[in-house]
Amino acid sequence: MWIIIAILTAIGVICGVLIWVTNKTLPKEPASLAKAQEVSEHLPGMNCGACGFPGCFAYAQALSKDKKVFFSNVCATVLQDNTMLGGIEKSLDLVVDKNAMNKKAVVCCSGDCEKIGTYVGVGTCKSATKILKGFKKCPFGCLGLGDCTHVCPQNAISIDVDRKIAVIDPDKCTGCGLCVKECPRNIIKLIPADSKVVFRCSYDSIRDIPGREKCESGCIHCRRCFKACENEAIIWNKDKQIPEFDLSKCIDCGACIAACPKNVLTKLKVDASKKEKVLTK
Amino acid sequence: MSETGPSLITIFMSMALINNFILSKFLGLCPFFGVSKKLTNAISMGAAVTLVMVMASIATTLIYRFILVPYKVEFMNIIIYILVIASLVQIVELFIKRTNITLYNSLGIYLPLITTNCAVLGITLINAQANYAMVQSIISALGGGIGFTLMLIVMSGIRERIEFADTPKSMRGLPIAFIIAAILSLAYMGFSGMI
Repeated sequence: MWIIIAILTAIGVICGVLIWVTNKTLPKEPASLAKAQEVSEHLPGMNCGACGFPGCFAYAQALSKDKKVFFSNVCATVLQDNTMLGGIEKSLDLVVDKNAMNKKAVVCCSGDCEKIGTYVGVGTCKSATKILKGFKKCPFGCLGLGDCTHVCPQNAISIDVDRKIAVIDPDKCTGCGLCVKECPRNIIKLIPADSKVVFRCSYDSIRDIPGREKCESGCIHCRRCFKACENEAIIWNKDKQIPEFDLSKCIDCGACIAACPKNVLTKLKVDASKKEKVLTK
Repeated sequence: MSETGPSLITIFMSMALINNFILSKFLGLCPFFGVSKKLTNAISMGAAVTLVMVMASIATTLIYRFILVPYKVEFMNIIIYILVIASLVQIVELFIKRTNITLYNSLGIYLPLITTNCAVLGITLINAQANYAMVQSIISALGGGIGFTLMLIVMSGIRERIEFADTPKSMRGLPIAFIIAAILSLAYMGFSGMI
């Protein structure tokens, strides 16, 4: 009896001492790890993986090794938050031009598209896209089944029930780009956060599918926005027949938005009255 | 030391294939289902388990031979082995973390998870039961670890493909994995009786 207790205690004590000795004698953690620990305190800690690393700590380790990683795999959440950005700038000793890197995701579709049939299959956009390229008339229309809402770490995406399209709240969006990767129709785009105007149509004649017309609410390539802009901030892309924007010249006058007959051009944040206008059309 | 026991190759093959830990002994089933979703994770986990198995066998064989048998307290082996394995994993983790940070990162969370893995405890108990000498127990642990890794790789390969298959909704995920494990186990029964 006593010998059992003695052996067990002895082995326990020896194991404990061994761990203690190993802990004391081995060299301290490499400096990179301590640095990573410091950097990770300034990261959001959501482990969303949008930066391309498996988690915030892995990102911090990569940052502590090479601070250029911040520009190649940017953490969008840090960019939005001044305290976190300040902490990162201080601990990594770098200067970040916030406006140049800040992005917002927008759904490039105005909705209101006619359906070619009723879809009763699995309720995800990924599945719906596989059958006849989706159930909407336009092959580039938002299906509104909400694949993107599930991946958004900020819950910034909701489905507009009336128009049956996804709507991204620009105030909540951090520009992480997870929804851009998720969307099977590639109609969510990342645009600079200081954009004044959003072109909400993804119809692309180059990628057109024979036998499928585009929808009623999409861009009709009338070039009225291009003509309405007095500051030459709109550049007409002749190949795609869509407007492109030169942000340095745009003064946010709203002339192009007023000129658009299809309400395809909107502000970044769509206000309620605008939404109603689209609905009652 | 091992005049009477089976040859080393027999021990190795028996542990790796015939008496495979997962499919015929049903040990280490938690990582078999938990970590077999991706091939890369499966390989990391298998490598970590093999490493710990070999180290635990060395330590426990020493304790069994020089402490438990002389004092006639062999029945204490389970509780002492748990204690030794847990401390050993801690020491190995500390050692890897301080000396080779790249290896530590690639093993990741799996090393601490192995502390209470029944496959590791299983191999040490099997060694004690068969009264293996040092070389034999190392070989049997190596065989067990490699067999475990092999099964994890096979399972993850199958599960990566099953993801794309048209599985009934109620069978998706773990249920179909259990059925696959059963079929694999039946197939591996073909090896039984070869030694």
